Amino acid sequence: MDHLTAVPAQPPVHLRYHRRLHLGEAIRELWTARELIRTLVERELRARYKQAVLGTAWTIIPPLTLMLVFTFFLHRGGRIDTGGIPYPLFAYVGLLPWTFFSASVSRGGQSLLQNAALLNKVYCPREVYPISSIVIAGVDTLVALPILAIMFAIFRTAPQPSTLLALPLLAVQLAFTFGVTLIVSSVSVYLRDLRHALPILLQLGLFATPVAYGSEVVPAALRLPYAFINPLAPVIDGYRRVVLLGQPPAWDAVLAGTLSSLLLLALGSILFKRLETGFADVA
Amino acid sequence: MLPRGSIGAAHIWKRFRADPTRNYLRDQLARWRDLVRGNGHRGWRWALRDVSLTVEPGGAVGIVGTNGSGKSTFLKILNRVMYPYAGRLEVSGRVAALIEIGAGLHPELTGGENIYLTGSLLGLRRQEIAARFDEIVAFAELDPAIERQVKFYSSGMKMRLGFAVAASLQPDILLVDEVLAVGDAAFQQKSFNRMRAMLSEGVTLVFVSHDLASVEATCTHGIWLENGVVAAGGAVDEVLAAYRRSIEETAHAYVGTGGVLRVARVAVGSDHGTAASHEELRVATVIESPHALTSVFYLGVSEGPATPIFVLQRDLHLTAGATEVRCLIRRLPLPRGRFYLWLGIFDKAGHDLLPWHPVTHFDVAGPDLDRPPRGVVRLAPVHVEAAWEVDAE
Repeated sequence: MDHLTAVPAQPPVHLRYHRRLHLGEAIRELWTARELIRTLVERELRARYKQAVLGTAWTIIPPLTLMLVFTFFLHRGGRIDTGGIPYPLFAYVGLLPWTFFSASVSRGGQSLLQNAALLNKVYCPREVYPISSIVIAGVDTLVALPILAIMFAIFRTAPQPSTLLALPLLAVQLAFTFGVTLIVSSVSVYLRDLRHALPILLQLGLFATPVAYGSEVVPAALRLPYAFINPLAPVIDGYRRVVLLGQPPAWDAVLAGTLSSLLLLALGSILFKRLETGFADVA
Repeated sequence: MLPRGSIGAAHIWKRFRADPTRNYLRDQLARWRDLVRGNGHRGWRWALRDVSLTVEPGGAVGIVGTNGSGKSTFLKILNRVMYPYAGRLEVSGRVAALIEIGAGLHPELTGGENIYLTGSLLGLRRQEIAARFDEIVAFAELDPAIERQVKFYSSGMKMRLGFAVAASLQPDILLVDEVLAVGDAAFQQKSFNRMRAMLSEGVTLVFVSHDLASVEATCTHGIWLENGVVAAGGAVDEVLAAYRRSIEETAHAYVGTGGVLRVARVAVGSDHGTAASHEELRVATVIESPHALTSVFYLGVSEGPATPIFVLQRDLHLTAGATEVRCLIRRLPLPRGRFYLWLGIFDKAGHDLLPWHPVTHFDVAGPDLDRPPRGVVRLAPVHVEAAWEVDAE
């Protein structure tokens, strides 16, 4: 029993546990967990379509409703300058990326808390929970995409050939969405009431982003700082240009958005890894 | 790098917040405010202090201790679910934790879909799950129910499902936390057998349990945690002996609480002094009562904290004042070792007159128990005399 008295009150400083973090290793570990992500996504989707009578319809309804609301209430009498594009089409092209972002953040932000019971039972890279939420939001976006095709047919237009340029924009959008989701999900574990603030913040974000209106409302001098602060602005503006107008994106604004998106992604990853060590303690 | 299947945990420390761990903006602001004002944080509670454990491949270690002593926290750290505050930790090879994994089940999905879900969560690949699917269903005894949604399962079925998936892993290290208390007796036996099979294949085992007999039968080494500190470590029988002694000491502290009766005196022994296997054992007690009572008197014998090995009972009329109760057991069926005597007196309605509690311990001299073959079987708590005859035919 002499061991009992030999235990000091505090561990010696040199014993402090430091987790060695290697970016490569973290990514490799995530890659091996891809099947788990697939399973988590399947779990959500299967469960959702078993419950809901309308099934896929629920994923189309949110952007569609917003599009109709914008068309009939905001745009009444052609108040919004769309550069000659039919307004419903203009709004829907903006709503798709926004809905993806908003669904990722609100669902992914709660993903750790929702899986709290697993956090202190099962070992896996913790990022799988927010990532699978983002994948689900992505699937929803794909499901809502055919509506766009129908709208093109109704308005007797077609996507411009420059649509291929949407790919780099998509990459920026993904980086930004992932970064924000990482931050919101990890902080939510420690600040649980963020759950109540999030819908309000996202609502504000919808109007702070050129979804219902065009980028032209922002004064030219502020366009670059604005793109830096809100990378979704140049991305959505870019989509409209390449898909609807056949113009190249405003590259300088896209670059500013790319820069801040990458910064945010790096910040989000570091923050997530930092906070991760405590998830199981408080979950 | 340690060889596959080994555990090297040295000087592990773990702490939790001592204040109520609510995580709302208000609470965090209060913490930050204290920090800024230099009041420091509101303190930490050490869950583990300087806990070390080394296990070689194929080794089996049992962790015992009272509730809240840090056993499960330590297991979570070995499972890499929690991070230690200080210490060095190396766990090499594939780790499987047999824990209550019912948490991962999704009620809207069928049992079959949940097998894939749980398997992926435990780190199995889809192919591996597909290959073992039938085996898992058979082990969980869910054959007709597997197409049904899990929300229609009983809690026992859910546990069996989760356990069956976990049991199908082929790990290098197996962590078991009290899950073998899952399900009915038949399923428990099946789970024990599965664990035994894994052990004989050379899996490293860390076993947390309150069932000291199964720890003793399964493990070669043990550690006893008390308030997050290793109170004893080493060969399993020595550790368990020390732990049992401490349990019995604390149990003594509870004596006399509740009930209207008091035990004035207890004596256990035989005419020759100490008790011995298959000899007479005499138990004499003196009970003090404030008034005359009709009651039922219970007397039991246990190995430490475990359930009694046997219980004796008789109706008892107590007079006001002291009553002596003597009991004679003609042939004591206990092997060599230390045992605990429990007493309890109840009225006809079953209310406590004297709560069921250990009153004393006694040692039994006799032949040593034959250890059962290594594996998860309970050590036999009784000693039976038998005559053997072996003839060639």
